[in-house]
Order: sequence, then C-alpha cells, then structure tokens
Amino acid sequence: MKNIFGLCFCLSVLALVGCGKDDETNTEINNPTTYNFTRDGQSTVSFPGQTTRIAMGTELINAMANFNQSAIGLLEMYANETATGEDANPYANDELNASSKSIKSKTAASTDFFSANTSESATIKADFETWITAQVTEVFPNKNELATPGFAGQIADGSSVRYVNAAGLEYNQVVNKGLIGALIVDQILNNYLSPTVLDAGENKTNNDAGIVDEGSVYTTMEHKWDEAYGYLFGASTDATNPIATLGEGNFLNKYLSRVNDDVDFAGIATDIWEAFKLGRAAIVAGDYDERNDQASIIKELISKAMAIRTVYYLQQGKNALPTSGDNYGSAFHDLSEGAGFVYSLRFLRNPNNADAYFSRSEVDAMMEQLTTGNGFWEITPATLDAMSEEIANKFDFTVAQAGS
Amino acid sequence: MKLTKLNFFLGVLLVGLFVTSCNDKDDDPTTSVDNFNRSEMLSFWADDIIIPAYESFDGTLDNFVEAKDAFANDQSIDHLENLKATWLISYKSWQNVAMFDIGKAEEINFLYSMNIFPADVDLIEENISNGDYNLTLPSNMDAQGFPAIEYLLFGMDDSIVPLDLLSEPNRIAYISDLVDRMKSLNSEVLNDWKTNFRNTFVENNGSSATASTDKMINDFLFHFEKHFRAGKIGIPAGVFSGSELSSLAEAPYSGKSKELFFASFDAIQNFFTGLSFDKSTTGLSLQQYLSNIAQTNESQDISIAILQQWESATTSAQHLMDNFKDQVEQDNSKMLNTYDEIQKSVVLLKVDMMQALNIQVDYVDADGD
Repeated sequence: MKNIFGLCFCLSVLALVGCGKDDETNTEINNPTTYNFTRDGQSTVSFPGQTTRIAMGTELINAMANFNQSAIGLLEMYANETATGEDANPYANDELNASSKSIKSKTAASTDFFSANTSESATIKADFETWITAQVTEVFPNKNELATPGFAGQIADGSSVRYVNAAGLEYNQVVNKGLIGALIVDQILNNYLSPTVLDAGENKTNNDAGIVDEGSVYTTMEHKWDEAYGYLFGASTDATNPIATLGEGNFLNKYLSRVNDDVDFAGIATDIWEAFKLGRAAIVAGDYDERNDQASIIKELISKAMAIRTVYYLQQGKNALPTSGDNYGSAFHDLSEGAGFVYSLRFLRNPNNADAYFSRSEVDAMMEQLTTGNGFWEITPATLDAMSEEIANKFDFTVAQAGS
Repeated sequence: MKLTKLNFFLGVLLVGLFVTSCNDKDDDPTTSVDNFNRSEMLSFWADDIIIPAYESFDGTLDNFVEAKDAFANDQSIDHLENLKATWLISYKSWQNVAMFDIGKAEEINFLYSMNIFPADVDLIEENISNGDYNLTLPSNMDAQGFPAIEYLLFGMDDSIVPLDLLSEPNRIAYISDLVDRMKSLNSEVLNDWKTNFRNTFVENNGSSATASTDKMINDFLFHFEKHFRAGKIGIPAGVFSGSELSSLAEAPYSGKSKELFFASFDAIQNFFTGLSFDKSTTGLSLQQYLSNIAQTNESQDISIAILQQWESATTSAQHLMDNFKDQVEQDNSKMLNTYDEIQKSVVLLKVDMMQALNIQVDYVDADGD
C-alpha cells in the first residue's frame, strides 16, 4: 500500500510538473494520521445526518423486539412520518423526533443505482415495510407459542429466545442486515462516493477555489465524502480514529469488525479507513484521480466484506442445522442474519464498472430459495453450499475462508 | 492430512534427527501420528462415565421429587429443610452431566432448561400469580431449573423465606412443576442413552467433524470455556463487561457457589483423566490420548501442563468465599485471579490440545445479538 501510494504520488507530481496546465491551487496530498481535516483551525468533517439515521435504525431494530409496539409505530420509525405523510414522533429520543431525516427516504435511494430505477427502489422500500408489518401481524400474536414448520412462534437458540415467522425467519434480523445494504452500503458506494455526486454542479470548481457551503466551513465535495464516511463510522466513539474501537453500533461498522477478526481478512478495516482518509486528503489537495482511486478501493473492499459476511452466515447456518431432532434455533438465527445479508448483496458495487455485483433477479432467486415452502425448516446443506459458492465466485475469496 | 508410509518414515527420521541434533521441540501438528483407540475411549466414556453420571443424577432427582411431594403435603420445617438439602445434592450431581450436551440432551436443549442463571425473578413471580405457564417455551428457560428453585427456596432477605409464603398453593404447585419437569427431562435423556444413543455414540468412532470424539471434545471444551470459566467465574467477576456483576453468580441466594464450582471442576478433571464415575477404575481418556500422541511423535505431552495449570486454578479457587456473589462484592481480585488461572488452561485446551488431537474447534463466539 505504502509503495503504491509512493508511486502514485511520484507519478502525480511528475504529471503536474510535466504538463503544468493545472493553474489552480493543486498541492501535495497531506494525509493525516487520523480522520482530521480543518480549515482556518476549524474541523471541516461533519456527518450528523448519518449519525441520526444510524440512531433511527437502532431504535427501529430494538423496537421490533418489543411486543408493545404497533405496526403503525414501527412504520413511523422507518419513515419518520405518518402513513399520510404528516409529522410523526415515533422515537424515544426526542432529537430523532425533531429531525426531518428518515431511513425510508434513503433506502435504495442512491444516485448511481436508483435515480433512474425508481420502480425497484419502491419495491425495496415496500419489502422493508412488509417485513416490519409482518413482525407485528404474524410474529407478535404467536409470541407465546412454540414455532413449528409453517407456524410463527418462539424458538430457543442456546440460552436465547428467537421469534420467527412461519418459515423460521426473524424479521428483525432481515430488516437490520437488509438495511446495512439498502441504506448504508448503497448510500456509501453508489451515492456519496460516486463521481456523479462528488462532482455535481460546481463542486470541483468550488472545491479547487476553497469556496465553502453557506454557513459551513466545508466544501460540498468534502462534505459528500464525509457523509459516506459517516454511514460507516458515524456511531463511533471517536470517529477521527474509529479503528481503535472498531465494531460499534449495529450496522456496517459492527460486521466489518467481524470480518476483520477473521485471520483470512485481517487488516481489511484499516485498509478501508486508510482509503477514506487518503481520498479525503486528495479532495483537500484537489487531486481527483487519487480520490477516485481511493473510492474504488473502498467500493471493492466494502463489497467484499459484505459478501464474506453473507457466506459466513450461510455456512454457520448450515453447520448449525440439527442432524436429528428439531433444535433449529441456532441455525435459524444464523440463516436470518444470512437472509438479510443476501438481500444486501444487491447494493454491492463492482469498482471496475458501473454495475452491481448481483442483479435484482439473482438476489430474488436466492431469497426465494431461502424462504420457499417452510423455508429454513426444510432448507438443505446443498442449497446453502451452492448459494455460498455463487456468492464467493464473484470475489477473490473462498467459501472456506469466509465460512469460519 | 494422511501421510504416506515413506513420508511418515522420513518424517519420523527428520524429527528424530532434529530432536537429537538440537534438542528442540518441533511439534508441527500436521506431522503428528495418531494410533489411539478412539472406540475404546468412547465405550469407556459412555459406559463408565456418562451413563452412570446420568443415572446418579436421576437418583438425586427421585429424592428431590419425593422431598417436594412431602413438602406439598405438609409444610413443616423439617420437610422444607429436606427439600433444600435434596435441591443441593441434585444441583451438585447436575454438574457431572452438564458437559454432555450431545444426543438427546442437545436435541431438547436440556442444559438450558436446567441451569440458566440468573433466574428471572419477575417472570417466576408472574408465572406463579398467573398460575398459567408453559414451561416448554424457550422464553421460560430462565424461570425454571435449579436457579429458579433456588430463588423460591432461598431467595428472600437473609436467605430465609417465610414458611407461610412458601406454603401458598400457587408457589407449591410451581415448585412441584419445576421439579417434575427436571425429572422428566432427565429421564428422556437417560433413557435415550441407554436404549439408543449409546451405540450410535460408540460406533461413530471416526475422526471427522461429526464423529463422536470430535463432537464430545468440542462439547467438553465449550462447557469448560463458556459454562465453567465464564459462567461460574468470569461473568460475575466482570471480565466481559468491565464492571462487576455479582448478582450473576451461580447460586447467589443459597451461597453454594463454591461447592457447585468444585463439583463441576471435579467432574471436568475426572472426565479428562478418565476416572470412572464410581471412581473404581480408569480408562482411556483425553489425558492418555495426549500422552499417547506425545509418545508416538516424541513431542511434548500437553496433558501434563493442563493438569499442572488446573492445580494452580484449584489452589486459587480454594481461597474464594462460599458465595461468589459476596466474593465479587468484597474482594473481586480473588475472583479475577481464579479466572486468570483457569484462562491459562483454556489456552492449553483450545489451542495446544486441539492441535495435538488434530480436531477443529466447531463453535465460534456468538455475535451477541
């Protein structure tokens, strides 16, 4: 990494010296040791909207396990408004109630993937609302029943109690892990790190000239980059150095940490963080080629981490399937997390072209395989292995590496 | 992983030369040779340790059932004292079978119906006042078993539950249902071992991840790490939370934590060294397995280090108070010291032993969500 950076840096200096046509204030990239960027002594890093949405998501996920919640209340947490579009105050945290932001408006809402694909975006938002509603209409009424094939209820996972639908699926898990893809990853990879967003309007000119947003100390381009960063690290205790406390919150940061703990992928979190930092420093220096290179690294590594975690849960679920009896709880929990991650595959981004790694129909087919009939009650190890292979084949890791 | 004869010969030759020439210990697990008789070990485990342990536990449950019936008929002090005594005997006996989470026990989530602590006091009281509860529901796991009964018998201020409170019909009925359920679950597990699973277990004598030896050793390891090290010591001492959680000690109302800890530790050590349940004989064991591998491969015998480390852990734990709740509150450093001594042996078991036996650890730490 260091060598590549050195080489790139030399080349970019040579390019500058050689052509000398860039008459603006391109300067050397000053890559700080932590994610700290300032202008006139003030920090230019800001992502309160992302921190807010992570907090809204956390409340929603927790509320889905609270039997006193109504479907209307949960849906309002998702949309931060009533079904008729009026202001709602669904959260325990009043700061969230006061916010005009919502999770729903940013679900499957990236510029690159969904600005001209609003029908799929609407389908995806409807999927989340279906799962949220079904938690209340299907699972809550059976909270004091034992789950059996075709019937929702509770099931033991070791000393934990899980509440599943008729197919063995935990809706709160599929919503949680599905939002990691549809909200977090989609916004990072396909929206804020997209040149279309970063370079929109006068962003480049303004950034080159150091023209800041009205009332702010950051340029628009700096802010867009930081908003991507905030979706990953916005709930960190110290977001300037999030690697020190990697894994905080219940969204991407947590599962990146899990992948990073696997010796086969150790260091991936730091690589992603370093790319965020260097890319941001490149924006300050006006070096957009370097910025795009770092964005590509982030797209590649976050996509890979998500795919690894997907395979991990499918494999853990397979391993936990009982060989006799019906002690399915541990397997169902892993497979529920796995289903959420499978749903999230749609939002992964191949850095080498404009495409997603997985099409709508590929993801739909996998979700169908997981939930068809009595779902997890009758899923086979062969199906889970084949699905794992299908996912791993798109990346440079093996099922065995991801599975343990 | 299988070596050809020639490679094996060369390997032994090279290892031999290596040992002779530099007197070093290169115990690369991939070259270790395993000619241990797994079948004989499995038979010994089933016939001389596991089934007798379940039978003995079953006997204590019979006495427990009798004692609660006697108390249900006549709420005398004597009957109450006898009920408490049979609870403790049975709870200690439970420690002998807790590690065998395999077969029917695994299928029916046995251990999570018997010893989830802390008991959910609010849920227990709710069940009692409703009088309408389904103990087979997973959400009632922490409202039953030994910890729930402990709360009911010992769980008031100063460990004295007023006799007239305990004599309420709902309360008596609840205790009775809990004890009956424990007896019936254990009968199911014991009966399956005797009529069905014993042979399956012994015949599954290979060395794959699903073979009996691999599974049983993983269960043993899991029990040692999660239920013994963490459950009895680490969690109340705050090792995983950063703050002391004294109320999460085992048996906090009766103050029998230490007794239960040592009952469990004895069972663990006897299983490891291959002492039969009735203590009359020894058979093939993990200790012998490790010694055998060390001999065959002229490598270090890990079992010696494990047993030494357990002596240190025993010495440390002997300094603990009877009630670990009190120990945490009054001087947690002693708990932490015991934890550290146990943890050193976890490393020996989970890394060195598993490598020497060439068995994969089949569980991962839970996400916590």
